[in-house]
Amino acid sequence: MIAALGVAELKLLLRNRTAAALAVLMPLAAGIFFALRMDGEQGGWTMVVTLQLLFSFGFTVYVTVTTALTARRQDLYLKRLRTGAASDLVVLTGILLPVVLLGLAQAVVLLGISVAAGAPMPSRPELLLVAMVGGVALGCAAGVGTSGVTGTAELAQITTAPFFFALIVGGLFGTNGGVEAPVFLVPGTGLGTLIGAAWGGPTDQVGLAALSVAGWTAVATALSVRFFRWDPRG
Amino acid sequence: MEETVIDVADLRCRYGDFEAVRGVDFEVRRGELFALLGTNGAGKTTTMETLEGLRAPFGGTVRVLGLDPFRERAALRSRTGIMLQDSGFPADLTAREMVALWGVTSGRRATEDVLERLDLAHRRDVRIKQLSGGERRRLDLALAVLGRPELLFLDEPTTGLDPESRQRTWQVVRGLLAEGTTVVLTTHYLEEAESLAHRLAILHEGLVAVSGALVDVLAAQPSRISFDLPDRLDVDALPMLSGDVVHRPSGRVEVRTGELQDDMAVLLAWAGREGLRLGRIRAHHASLEDVFHSARTGKEVVAA
Repeated sequence: MIAALGVAELKLLLRNRTAAALAVLMPLAAGIFFALRMDGEQGGWTMVVTLQLLFSFGFTVYVTVTTALTARRQDLYLKRLRTGAASDLVVLTGILLPVVLLGLAQAVVLLGISVAAGAPMPSRPELLLVAMVGGVALGCAAGVGTSGVTGTAELAQITTAPFFFALIVGGLFGTNGGVEAPVFLVPGTGLGTLIGAAWGGPTDQVGLAALSVAGWTAVATALSVRFFRWDPRG
Repeated sequence: MEETVIDVADLRCRYGDFEAVRGVDFEVRRGELFALLGTNGAGKTTTMETLEGLRAPFGGTVRVLGLDPFRERAALRSRTGIMLQDSGFPADLTAREMVALWGVTSGRRATEDVLERLDLAHRRDVRIKQLSGGERRRLDLALAVLGRPELLFLDEPTTGLDPESRQRTWQVVRGLLAEGTTVVLTTHYLEEAESLAHRLAILHEGLVAVSGALVDVLAAQPSRISFDLPDRLDVDALPMLSGDVVHRPSGRVEVRTGELQDDMAVLLAWAGREGLRLGRIRAHHASLEDVFHSARTGKEVVAA
């Protein structure tokens, strides 16, 4: 069931040109732009990969999940799916799956472009893996919750802005390490710290960073349970 | 042996402080078509959504195929087909893709070509957004009947359809009934309910105003005779009838009677004897339309 829902969702994403362009081309273009801005100075690459990954989590995953779920609810497609045999969790998983794969593929492609352009390989790849899993999970959970307070797919461009910018700004705070503990309350800081550490940055705050990502994912999940709606008429 | 498929007792549903359904009771038996009628806002769709397991009741109990439709939704799904008031189609899938998806997610595998059955075979590869309103509604019905569910919910299945599509829908529903499917239907078209339903309930402001077998509900309402009285006659000249006689200012006489055949016989024999011509004479049993209007004006009619 999850596979069938996922294939249908992937078709819907790719057939809607605006959504497809926003989800695929926009982060790709931004990521390539960041990579091209580098003129061979080695220290700057950490910043570039941090931005590339956060755009993948923030744009490809978070904004797309919010927009897609809101559009499907508006079409009453979510309500229809609940008249089928799939449980609520299966329906959500099916719809999120292609977005998750798209986000991961995007991240890998962008990192590949950076490496091809001269960026070093991560010295602690396991931390990169933690950041990827955490970033995608956080993007999904926050997207489900945000769609609950988003009336139409067009409004998603506004409702996703605060969390998206918090993710990017937090990531930039965290990427060089040495952050004051309260700054981990900004959602992207933990991810930035993990990515920075994966590329040879300080590792002393890795535990706190992972805790921050897990905490934010838990909060976003709780808010999703509270705010997510299947039917536009409540 | 009449098996109860749906049992609703003292059902109450709320939207915030507003009580949309205020204590509704009825049951649906296996193999019948049960029509849920009422004006907009009477509580039809709210009741349907509760039966379909899409909302939890505020009070009362609901059993569908012996299960709680809200808590045991998963167990019911492969046995029930649901056609919501709004189709809920994603615009960018084709009819074929939607049928394939639904074959998996409804839990009921297609056992026949449902697109063929609803005359949509030639529109298979067209995106749903390019289908006409009638075609979408037919696709919706095709999905609801996919895999032959034993219980089918149809919420206004023919609203907005042209007469030909409506006929086709009725034909499909009759076919399913003949195969033993139980159907719960809501509709605004009373002639649709009159031609399809075995039993019905008319809701009015969240309560059951009328319920029972169609024949009993119709029989509980008086039949009507009406004609123009010849000018020179007074209404007192009429023979003794069992029904109530009303003389309208227009000169037309209306008789509301429980004994249509007897009163007609007396009336016609009298007119024959007297050599009178009764103008524009009409005699008919109560229609669902008559029942519906008296339900709305607040008179409670309960047929056994």
